[in-house]
Amino acid sequence: MPILATQLRAVALFYRGVAPFMLGVSALILLAVLLPAIREGWSGGLLPGLLLTKLATAPVVWYLSEQLRPGQYWFYYNLNVSRRRLWTGVVALDGGLFLGAALLMRTVL
Amino acid sequence: MSRNSDKPAGPQVLEADGIRIVFGERQVLGSVYLRVQTGQIVGLLGRNGSGKSVLLQTIFGARAVADASVRVNGRHVVPAFRHPGLLNYLPQEPLFPPSLTLARAARLLGVDIESATARFPELRSQFGSRVGELSGGSARLVQALLLLHADTAFSLFDEPFSGVMPVHVETLAEEMQRLKQHKGLLITDHRYTEVLSICDVVYLLHQGRLLRLDGDVREQLRDYGYLVS
Repeated sequence: MPILATQLRAVALFYRGVAPFMLGVSALILLAVLLPAIREGWSGGLLPGLLLTKLATAPVVWYLSEQLRPGQYWFYYNLNVSRRRLWTGVVALDGGLFLGAALLMRTVL
Repeated sequence: MSRNSDKPAGPQVLEADGIRIVFGERQVLGSVYLRVQTGQIVGLLGRNGSGKSVLLQTIFGARAVADASVRVNGRHVVPAFRHPGLLNYLPQEPLFPPSLTLARAARLLGVDIESATARFPELRSQFGSRVGELSGGSARLVQALLLLHADTAFSLFDEPFSGVMPVHVETLAEEMQRLKQHKGLLITDHRYTEVLSICDVVYLLHQGRLLRLDGDVREQLRDYGYLVS
């Protein structure tokens, strides 16, 4: 299996472990802030702020993950993926999913 | 298993030195020079808390230590785990995420699970099981086997026999002997009888110093207080 494909799969696998919390935060922001804003017609220009708010929660997830599962990285190290690369990948993936969901909501609603 | 296809043709030599680790006021590792060559099994013994795991983790690159030097054929490789095909590491704690199936873990590591477990037919029925569903001994055995069969030049094993039943320990030791033709193994385990029986070189971590034991190893282990006289 090519190295890049393995590393992308590793990031996806790692994301599964933190997804419940990260997706929960996304759902909270989208449903509690963006949805009412779209319905009331003041959602224009709101997206960058929401994305920043969403990204600002990543350190909290990182901290909780470090505290609750200190030994979670060994498998990924064995796939040649560092802790920094894992978290960079996870934040990019999560941010992308959040942005995609927000744009979809604005288009559909 | 193509990651290691650009390996040098001759034996590879892993060397580590300059590793100095202090916990509080206690110096755990002070004078360390360790050498592992492909085709060798190297045993690392030491009392609890002597720094065996810390040393393996430092060589692997998971623990950043200032001035630590880890080299392969003279080339600086820190952190070593970032170099594909160079080495892997079995930690004392569970290696795989519990939700991962054995088959998927093997695929990610680039290992043919059928051939890796060929001498342990009772594991076949568990390929589709999640790691968290296995018994502790089976999980340990599979982790060791998959890393052993992974295409790396070196494998660092921290307590590979821990929790594994005796009949499997013997077969696992034989597998290590067989596969050392292709890689260098650095093993630490308190089951010293098994370790000594398969090792080509034995080191003892004693009071922060790494001592290479030559000659009558058991007698020296007794002298240093690792074995009862």
